[in-house]
Amino acid sequence: MRLLLAVLFIFPLAAQTAADAQKPADPPAQQATPAPAVQTPAAPAQEAPAASPVPTAEPDISGWIDFGYRFRSSLNGSADTYRSVINLGQGPKLFGADLTILDPKKRLFDSMHVRASGWGGDPYGSLHVDMEKSKIYRFDADYRDFAYFNALPSYADPLLTRGIQLDEQSFDTRRHIGSYNLELLPGHWLTPYFSYERDANTGVGVLAFVQSNNEYAVPSSMNDRTNLYRGGLRIELKRFHATLEEGGTTFNSGQSMFQGGPTNYGNSSVPVFGQTLDLTSLAASYGITGSSTYSKAFFTSNAFSWLDLYGQFLYSLPSTSVNYQETAAGNLYLPSQILFYQSEQYLVAAASKMPHTTGSLGGEIRPFKHIRLTESWLTDRMHDAGNATVNQTLVPVGGAQTTAALLASTLVSNYNQTEANLYVELTPQLTLRGGYRYVWGQADDAIYPISGGLTGPELAKLRRNVGLGGVVFRPNQKLTVTAEMEVAESGGVYFNTSLYNYQKVRTQARYQIRNSLRLSLDFTLLNNQNPTAGINYSYKSNNEAATLFWTPNSGKFVTFQASYGFSSLRSDILFLTPQTLAQGTSDYHENAHTATALFNFNLGHVGVFAPKLTAGGSIFTSHGTRPTSYYQPTAKLWLPLSKHSQAFAEWWYYGYGEAFNPYEGFRTHIASMGLRYTR
Amino acid sequence: MLNTKSILLVALLASVARGQDAAAPASPPTPASPYVGSEACGTCHEDIAKAFAKTPHHIADGKDKRRGFNGQACESCHGPGAKHAESASAADIRNPGKLTAAGSDKICLACHLNQPTHIGRLQSSHAKNAVACTTCHKVHATGEEVLVVRKTEAINKQCEGCHLTVAAQFQQPFHHKVPEGAMSCVDCHNPHGSMRQAMTQSFGANEPGCLNCHGDKRGPFTFEHGPVRMEGCSSCHVPHGSANPRMLERPQVRQLCLECHANLPQAKVKTTIGVVPPAFHDLNSPRYQNCTVCHQKIHGSYINRDLLK
Repeated sequence: MRLLLAVLFIFPLAAQTAADAQKPADPPAQQATPAPAVQTPAAPAQEAPAASPVPTAEPDISGWIDFGYRFRSSLNGSADTYRSVINLGQGPKLFGADLTILDPKKRLFDSMHVRASGWGGDPYGSLHVDMEKSKIYRFDADYRDFAYFNALPSYADPLLTRGIQLDEQSFDTRRHIGSYNLELLPGHWLTPYFSYERDANTGVGVLAFVQSNNEYAVPSSMNDRTNLYRGGLRIELKRFHATLEEGGTTFNSGQSMFQGGPTNYGNSSVPVFGQTLDLTSLAASYGITGSSTYSKAFFTSNAFSWLDLYGQFLYSLPSTSVNYQETAAGNLYLPSQILFYQSEQYLVAAASKMPHTTGSLGGEIRPFKHIRLTESWLTDRMHDAGNATVNQTLVPVGGAQTTAALLASTLVSNYNQTEANLYVELTPQLTLRGGYRYVWGQADDAIYPISGGLTGPELAKLRRNVGLGGVVFRPNQKLTVTAEMEVAESGGVYFNTSLYNYQKVRTQARYQIRNSLRLSLDFTLLNNQNPTAGINYSYKSNNEAATLFWTPNSGKFVTFQASYGFSSLRSDILFLTPQTLAQGTSDYHENAHTATALFNFNLGHVGVFAPKLTAGGSIFTSHGTRPTSYYQPTAKLWLPLSKHSQAFAEWWYYGYGEAFNPYEGFRTHIASMGLRYTR
Repeated sequence: MLNTKSILLVALLASVARGQDAAAPASPPTPASPYVGSEACGTCHEDIAKAFAKTPHHIADGKDKRRGFNGQACESCHGPGAKHAESASAADIRNPGKLTAAGSDKICLACHLNQPTHIGRLQSSHAKNAVACTTCHKVHATGEEVLVVRKTEAINKQCEGCHLTVAAQFQQPFHHKVPEGAMSCVDCHNPHGSMRQAMTQSFGANEPGCLNCHGDKRGPFTFEHGPVRMEGCSSCHVPHGSANPRMLERPQVRQLCLECHANLPQAKVKTTIGVVPPAFHDLNSPRYQNCTVCHQKIHGSYINRDLLK
């Protein structure tokens, strides 16, 4: 991929160099395009003014490229948290590039755009290329390289109370995501298209090897790859459109866990019948393969001037098969048989399949000029079925014991929804909307054989009536106010914390106070209650935010943008503490303030230079169940050096703190210096 | 009933096909035509005309047999311009910017309705809240913003212009890397609407768009975790940003799990899934305070019914 990146950047730069090199020796304009002059000697070429611009045959390249070096100061606090949240490193970087190449001769393409950012070991690099030849083809490619690092002891470290910071459930992986799309005959009524997408992940981590009375943190390597292939045909007519698409995926994953070093005593230090449990060796691996096929068909139509219709049918059939092998040795224990054993082998062969069908139909009817009625219906049906054959061999002192089991599972979800909305334009400034949605469904969940009578088949029904309303008020070009709300009452839901009896409100307002000053406001509220005995769930969240844009003198000298947001969340629900069966309340609350500001200054001429300064940043602070603060002030200075180049220097400060887990805080400064070359 | 439906369907398709035939291209302007053509518009609105020539819409000024706007690109949106050309009065020409959202959308959709992009339009919150096409698509804009912004940072900035509370959520420490420019809002949301909640994108045919990047969570698993399938990733995660690690809804994993896996005493009135006792672990022990230390295959397991491996 890096080679491809290098080639892509060298190509335009090389072309640019070649064009520049020709410039000093440029013959008169007429000679720059000799072919037509030779072929058409009778043409009045000599009558043309000598200074007339003549189209060049060379590609026209414009854009910019930013490169430089990033420095990071010494890190105060937790390096693991820093990598989990920020993860920017130091070194030479290609910060970004944006190039447009136009081919005046329109040979392979009319235009090509190349964009890149974050290359040189950054945690998120991207490369995007799109090119087009009018009415012949359109192609785009997108590639991203994400580093995913996550190691937070407060999240998953049972040994933390003993002062041991072990990064259980941590990952250090890279995910590569590519998407490549080719569309033929764009703009024609019949357009075939093809795509290939790939998502691949590789890396290492720490997982827990779980045995009956202990868990052992062990190293793990993980990799998975998903390839998606699809192709389709779009038929676009004046009053009708249909798209037909067929696709498929392949999936492979090869996660493994291993332990071969010193004896691992696990998370439990409590001896069992006087014996200490341990793990001396482990080799476990998953061999997972999967595939799927899918079909898509959808249409839109405006059969009459007063009627629009749409519909879609989607079907997919993913399946997976798995072979899992595990051998472990140590002093292990099986409580159900009060059995200590020295080694074990665990083999599983499993397979699963999930046919999934979705259909929807809808339309808009416009019976009168200022009245519209929309109606829609959707069904989504997913049936998952799996089975597993398990063979386990335990080797205690007395000799090997082998057990075998066959497990089967199902998960069925049928979801349906119908909705109608009526829109009335009372005046050109005021539109009202009222509607109704009915949601119903059923879910079944079962694993056989039933284990100990506790996890039998489960069934839940979904019934929800929702009233809908909305207002759009636009009295003039300067002010827009929108508001919408949903009020719902349910007769059954799938989960304790699902939306039950809820009210949802959202309002937005935008006001152009003056030509140079704009104010935006946003407010959302969700209030959800499930009064069922034993659940008694109450959830309320509201978010308010305001943003001010100030651009005096059309932003000639300064622009300013500031935002402030406040969010409040309170949730409480009944539950029974597992070890005592005493009823308790799970309470979570958070009040958070967020502020961001950004100034852009044109500093005028300082000697021969005309620098620009950007300064601002963001502050987040929350109080409640997990008080957190997160600061990101920043400043960036641009210094034009010549017509085509600017130097820049950027500074960031990152400060993260947690009141209850102070060992996870960090503070660091990051500075970058570089050059932007523009053409 | 099936027959009635079939007859209705055939009748509908027939009417569509008839409409197709009837939709003949507009006839070229005649001396008495109320249209003047884009060239005439460009004589006064020179800057706009020059800029417009660089946008994809200028195709309507060519020999556009399909839509029949030959040479009348300006008037395809602004309506017949002869009267305005004579009077030079703004009152004599249609300005889509001053129409209601539904009014200006009608102009755009005259050409763009029958395209796959608009399959979810009527159900989108943008359409419900009268967000006009021109709110995001600047018809006269040139350069990098021609018709629609395509760069990650520009897309995010445009969305944040209205979705202020969402922009604030992204300033929390654990978030998808949107402010950093590694992702854009449209990687996850389809601004034209989708059949999924919150206008989210799809993977393949009808699977959640989250799987575009998180393919290892796709399954199907031999032993599924119900909420992942039925209510999606957002039943446990806050995708825009959270103060809790891994963008979780709660800071402590046990709190998140036990809110559903509660040991309800009144099992007879069990109305929801997953409320049977999961185990009798002693939550006072740090070993059991984070359920996912052991139940690590929380998104679904290929081999273990208790999601342990």
